[in-house]
Amino acid sequence: MNMKKKCNRNLIIYELRNINGNLMPHFFGIVFPNLMCLLISRVVGSQMPEGMYREAATSVMLTMALIMPMSTMLLGYGCLYSTEIEKGIPIRMRLFGFDPVCEIVAKTIAQLIFLTITFVIFGIFQVTVMDVLWPAFSSLLCLLVSLYLLGIIFLIISHSIATMCQKFSTTFGITMFLYFVFMILSGMMGIQTSQLPGPMQAAARTLPMSYISSDFITFWQGGSYNFMPFLQSFLFLGAVSGILFMVSLHVSRK
Amino acid sequence: MLLTIHQLQVKYGGQTALEITSPVSFEKGDRVGIIGSNGAGKSTLVKALLGLVPCQGTITTPLSPEQMAVHMQFNEYATTMPVKYVMETILNTKIRKNKELQELIDFFDFEPCLSKKFNALSGGQKQKFTIIMVMFQNAELTFYDEVTSGLDFETRQKLTEKLNAWYQAKEDTLLVVSHYYEELEQLANKILILDKGKVVAYGKKEALFSTYCGRVVYILENTPTNRALSAGLPTLKSPEHLIALSCNDQETERKMMSLLIENNVNFKRSSSDIEIMYINARERFLNKNADERIV
Repeated sequence: MNMKKKCNRNLIIYELRNINGNLMPHFFGIVFPNLMCLLISRVVGSQMPEGMYREAATSVMLTMALIMPMSTMLLGYGCLYSTEIEKGIPIRMRLFGFDPVCEIVAKTIAQLIFLTITFVIFGIFQVTVMDVLWPAFSSLLCLLVSLYLLGIIFLIISHSIATMCQKFSTTFGITMFLYFVFMILSGMMGIQTSQLPGPMQAAARTLPMSYISSDFITFWQGGSYNFMPFLQSFLFLGAVSGILFMVSLHVSRK
Repeated sequence: MLLTIHQLQVKYGGQTALEITSPVSFEKGDRVGIIGSNGAGKSTLVKALLGLVPCQGTITTPLSPEQMAVHMQFNEYATTMPVKYVMETILNTKIRKNKELQELIDFFDFEPCLSKKFNALSGGQKQKFTIIMVMFQNAELTFYDEVTSGLDFETRQKLTEKLNAWYQAKEDTLLVVSHYYEELEQLANKILILDKGKVVAYGKKEALFSTYCGRVVYILENTPTNRALSAGLPTLKSPEHLIALSCNDQETERKMMSLLIENNVNFKRSSSDIEIMYINARERFLNKNADERIV
């Protein structure tokens, strides 16, 4: 008898295998941020007095850490899920008794596990190769929570885009565009947020990534920080993802 | 009654894709072959029964969607891992620990394919992969939508034989959509004929054959000699390259057979030819509709 299937360990392992079989999150989520850290800190470090190197490398690390949730959840998940939709795999799974909500839960858990793996590799690389400043526990916790939250928001955004577009090519185009816009606005392309033109700075202030990139270094080893604008930007991005998700539900029902 | 359809209507945009006005029922153990030309509404019917398309009307069944299994026309799976893992996840079991699943895999000679990715399988292997998982579900109602389309003749035949052998001793209800009449001759005991979204005929294969073709049909090649020979005999509608002669009693049949043998004509005798039955049922349905329009 065919029974309604719930989210279980097998489904999460299946989703992990699914991520593992796609090279995009490996390159953009693991290789790319570490490589960027190495290159940019070498360039920045060569232009600074020797005593400033560790702080500069830490600042670069905080900025490049943002690439991991963006690559894994926004770009990688978007590509994977849109490919599945294009092939009709979610419907096929539904016909085999899988509840769509359970499937999304399994996908999210698997993506978060993969994100954790990218964090661990990134952390080991920073400690062993980059020689960054050791953080205060609360600052590290704050960074990790922010990155996980960002990951979930990016997953909702890419899931919604894929559901609305129903095609890999369109989803890839839109998520790649967002990826580069976020990189530019968050100071990941070599230009700091404060150096951007006025309207772009205003746009950057609505993104939590900008605050992580420019402000987290100020309390990395302890100290106080006004979290209000940062939290507001999180609420804004969360609300945008929520609206997108509602629209995608409406589109998929139609 | 396993499933009954009342006044079912499916529209795509403003166009009616399916309109079933008289009740259609499927009973436990029925093997229903669904036939009709492209756009007849066969796949739409399957999708409506599975709740995949919005429809008006009533579908009465004690079954929940999870008690139905379906082989869709197109079945795709993740290509990021070997199919073994896809199968184990979908069926929520381990192949090495599940004897019933191992038997099914052996039955379809699928063991060597388990380590391949889905996109590396041939057309026949892909069909087998879905069939194994559909069969393993042991659902009370199973749909097979064009299960052998796109396969070569030999693979098609083998697959049909396997399906037939597997279900022979079972009481499951099957709804089989197909364009291949010989496939349905083996698998189906009832036939549902659709045309432009409407039901042309539905019933037991033998009863429908008797209604639209008579007791038995003789099928010959459509040559000038055969045309001349069959002039005056009761003919049925048939594909252009064939002539179909209808016999309603043994005496007529004996005379007809003697005539054909005396003239050294090759022929096929059938009391279950679904193609001839389909053509004549459709013809009668179209004529009836045309008459109603005139009235």
